[in-house]
Amino acid sequence: MLIAALRRVLLSVITLVMLAVFIFIATEIMPGDALDVSLSADEIAMIPPERLAKMKQDLGLDRPAHERLLAFLNGAITLDFGKTLISKTPVSAIIGYPLRNSLILAGAVLLIAIPLALAIGIAAAFWKGRAVDHLVSTGSIIGYSIPEFVIGTILVMLFAVAWPIFPATITASTRDPALTLLASSPLAVATVLIGSIAYLARLLRTGMVDALASDFVERLRLTGIPEWRIVFLHALPAAVVPSLTALALYAASLVSGIVVVELVFAYPGLGQELVRGVTRREVHVVQAIALCSAAVVVALNLLADLAILMLDPRTRRA
Amino acid sequence: MVQPASEPIIRCSGLSIGYVDGIGATTRVVDHVSFLLEPGHSIGIVGESGSGKSTLARALLGYLRGGGRFLGGQLEIDGVEVTSAATASIRALRGLRVAMVPQNPLASLTYHIPVGRQVEEVLRARRGLLRLEAEQRTVALFSEMGLPDPEIIGRRFAHQLSGGQRQRVVIAAALACDPALLVLDEPTTALDKTTEAQVLELVQRLRSQRGTALVLVTHDLNVVADTCERVIVMKDGCIVEQGPVTTVFRRPSVDYTKTLLDASLDLTGDAPSANTLADVLVNAEKLSFSYGTGGWFKRPQRQARPTLDRVDLALGRGEVLGVIGESGSGKTTLGLILAGLLASDQGALALEGHSIAMVAGKRRPEMRRRIQMVFQDPLSSLNPRQTVLAAVMRPLRLFFGLNRNAAREKAASLLSDLGLGPEYLDRYPRQLSGGQQQRVAIARAFAAEPDVLICDEITSALDASVAGQVLEELNAMRRRHGTSVILITHDLAVIWRMASRVMVLKDGIVIEAGSTGDVFAAPKDPYTAALLSSATRVKRLNEEPTPSSLINEIAHVA
Amino acid sequence: MRLFIQRLFRRPLTMLGLLLVAIHFGIALAAPWLTPHDPLKLLDAPLEQPTGVYWLGTDELGRDFFSRLLLGGQISIVAAACAGLIAAFGGGIIGLATAYHRGLFDDVVSRFVEMKLSIPSILLVSLFVTGFGQSLAVLIGVMGLIYMMGVIRTARAQGILIMEQGYVKAAKLRGESASAIILREMLPNIADLLTVEFALRTSSALLLVSALSFLGLGVSPPTPDWGSMIQSGLQSIRSEPWLILAPALCISTLVIGINFATEGVADLLGLEAARGATGQ
Repeated sequence: MLIAALRRVLLSVITLVMLAVFIFIATEIMPGDALDVSLSADEIAMIPPERLAKMKQDLGLDRPAHERLLAFLNGAITLDFGKTLISKTPVSAIIGYPLRNSLILAGAVLLIAIPLALAIGIAAAFWKGRAVDHLVSTGSIIGYSIPEFVIGTILVMLFAVAWPIFPATITASTRDPALTLLASSPLAVATVLIGSIAYLARLLRTGMVDALASDFVERLRLTGIPEWRIVFLHALPAAVVPSLTALALYAASLVSGIVVVELVFAYPGLGQELVRGVTRREVHVVQAIALCSAAVVVALNLLADLAILMLDPRTRRA
Repeated sequence: MVQPASEPIIRCSGLSIGYVDGIGATTRVVDHVSFLLEPGHSIGIVGESGSGKSTLARALLGYLRGGGRFLGGQLEIDGVEVTSAATASIRALRGLRVAMVPQNPLASLTYHIPVGRQVEEVLRARRGLLRLEAEQRTVALFSEMGLPDPEIIGRRFAHQLSGGQRQRVVIAAALACDPALLVLDEPTTALDKTTEAQVLELVQRLRSQRGTALVLVTHDLNVVADTCERVIVMKDGCIVEQGPVTTVFRRPSVDYTKTLLDASLDLTGDAPSANTLADVLVNAEKLSFSYGTGGWFKRPQRQARPTLDRVDLALGRGEVLGVIGESGSGKTTLGLILAGLLASDQGALALEGHSIAMVAGKRRPEMRRRIQMVFQDPLSSLNPRQTVLAAVMRPLRLFFGLNRNAAREKAASLLSDLGLGPEYLDRYPRQLSGGQQQRVAIARAFAAEPDVLICDEITSALDASVAGQVLEELNAMRRRHGTSVILITHDLAVIWRMASRVMVLKDGIVIEAGSTGDVFAAPKDPYTAALLSSATRVKRLNEEPTPSSLINEIAHVA
Repeated sequence: MRLFIQRLFRRPLTMLGLLLVAIHFGIALAAPWLTPHDPLKLLDAPLEQPTGVYWLGTDELGRDFFSRLLLGGQISIVAAACAGLIAAFGGGIIGLATAYHRGLFDDVVSRFVEMKLSIPSILLVSLFVTGFGQSLAVLIGVMGLIYMMGVIRTARAQGILIMEQGYVKAAKLRGESASAIILREMLPNIADLLTVEFALRTSSALLLVSALSFLGLGVSPPTPDWGSMIQSGLQSIRSEPWLILAPALCISTLVIGINFATEGVADLLGLEAARGATGQ
């Protein structure tokens, strides 16, 4: 069991390193260097060659790619992602608080979405083919078919404009404590929740339908074991295991959703910094944000893998 | 054991059950079935897949799978009319008065809960026992089932037990509340023959000790022969014959029962005679195979023993060599290696004395043509997106360069040799029955005009009557083309009918080989003897009446 | 086939989905002839109320909003469908190839797929947009690649099952080449699956494109696009809410339509609706 767990931790670390390499390659090597990317051709043409060389030297762009890659990886470990090209602020200072804020948002969503999705998924699977099930299936398709920014905007129109009970945009600032941030952003949380619940409930319904159709459930029913024991003690863990393996996709889509929703509500998180970074072509900022969010996804995956180890003894043999 | 005649525990009259599909159409799977079972007695329900026997078995516990409906008739279990009873009173029957041992013990135990806890759960939920009592009772039950170290076994998970142990755990869970009726659904299908004998012995012992009435559902007549007093033969949802086991198996009154009985091993005739191996066509030495060591990033899979361990094999020209083995014996692996679909870890393979490459892709086209294979599952051996013609034509065009018309003609003639008319050429596999699909697969193999044909369990997915015909046609084809056949099967009756020589495979090792007549008449290895003994129970009924069945017959006549 | 259509008619939601998709595609194709005004031209004062001339009023720059709405799906639909096509086709072939070859090739591809799946799609696009600059070709290519990863997974899983089938073994026995087996024996058997994958990935891509446009990273102005139209509509959320509601309705009904239709068709084809769809 311990060996199996360590193996998964190691695999996650390897994945993370590969991700870092991939992110580096995607942004730095392929289309010229960071300077070409940040400055337009006209701008470069304006700068005298010796100054350009000096700028490149400052940024370390004159070194060969593999050296820069090593420097990037080394920096990533120490959370030093270099400085921005224009204002020369350390990247870690720019994304520190936004990262925390995005994590707060994600945490709040997960905390509410998981129990709700469990309840909905179990109910739909238990009454498979009945009205509840159709309602859940149809509702969940609609739920994840509407883009987050549309849901968010409509929530704003309903609950901030037509019936103003919530603020339209977040009034809290970047460094406010977690609770202040959350208290000022119920609509943002609700927006991400809708898509998340739709997705997770559907996943759990499928898992639960399969689990309830398994031979062991039939045996228990044929032995007259009470239905609640069958559903919660026998079928539920078996339903959660396959859903956990699909969590990677969900985690990635959760991060995507959060990025968009932050923009809609002006929530001071990574999404804001990302769009700012892309429009200003701040390669280091985009790299750092990509790596951080990928790390969150990898971490969630690792948690899922470890949970599977706990729930499914068949995976434990090392 | 035999109690005075009292109220029957099962009173089933004119029972019909059907399944309703999404559009609302009803398929009847149990059709006007009537029978009685007295307390403490035993009855076997035999039939092929699709005969409705499993649906009937579950109905005995008042349980129908999704979409199932009682369409008519009565079914009274222990005084409760389950076709109309309230859910609560049916629930009260289950586990307490009637219990079921399901088909697949591994899947029927919850994989994430230790097996002991699952038996305790029955005792606590159904009998209201306290935790400690339930634990003690479970240990006692486990030792009654003959499980070694009951306390330790109880803390294990299902996947950590052997097949026989799992089956014993499931039986213990069923018997936990001492039911009056035990329904066993294919209780030995997942077990090897040695374990099967032990489990059947256990069931017999429990019945005589506890006086539990028994319903045993199976496709294997041999299982019924030893275990049950009476037998019901089902086909397409109807009972075609019922009566005491000895009577039905000795003097079947219906053709269908005869077909079933004919498919079981009968040693009274002669096996095909074996010549001395003068003209060796295929020679294989030390074929071995161990399953994967994983990939670069995967967990290395440790395997205790190789799937196939230094197997030698010689096939004479024109002969049929039988390979007997149960699931997990390595017989399919052997077939795949001979065909060149798996590479042996060591050893050598030679055709007519010339060494050939282990993997088909590296053999010369001529060599590939000369070794062909027919697979177990007829549906999956044909590409669902290709017509019969396309399937049979491909080897003709590839190996002989025939043009379309010539290939079509040749394909038609191959099919007609197997009893399929030209109208089948343009059909897709899904439009054919299992037997027809397998004939097409055989035609495709013979289209390459092979010298060696490897047949891997080619009749195990077919009904007994169809299987017999397919084997006949295969025999005729191989005689006509002078093809040597390696016949891989778990069915001793098939070997007896077809093969002149036989080798017995167990755990990847050849434990016995020789002419079929010699091996079957005087098996040297105890495992071969166990296989033979379990396969010949039906026929032994003909020879000596067993004491217990005699008593039962008298009891029923009275 | 007849039975298939009969069953289709028994599913109102599937029919509704197909209808929605048909309407949207029809409009996207016929938009150039349907638009009453030039969607790019500044015609009148900004933010005019709806009139007989401008059916939905004018936008924040004074362009005819109705004309822009009709054209607002075109680019996204084309981009998403192209990405879906790349994903389904490329993913199908690569997935089958990994299933066929297994070994190191399979391990490397699987690892790569897993890695790519853990980068949120918006970030991946952002990375490439930062690198290559904002262009439709880059967008299509990157989205195709992103969604290809999921298809590789599904196709590989299916391919591994197919590899166990007798007809593939028989083909190997005949000594057919890898490409012949993959294209002739395997690919036709996952055609249904790939069609469903194509639809699912297209719907995901649509969501992504519109989100990117909303963020200002997708279809660049002045080309009309529902995502960017909603973004600009935010300025007048109180006075002209239809500037948001109309494009929101369009993008939502289109994606819902695709997903309803796909779900129903996949169910009828006996495919497991790609297990809880794809996420974004």
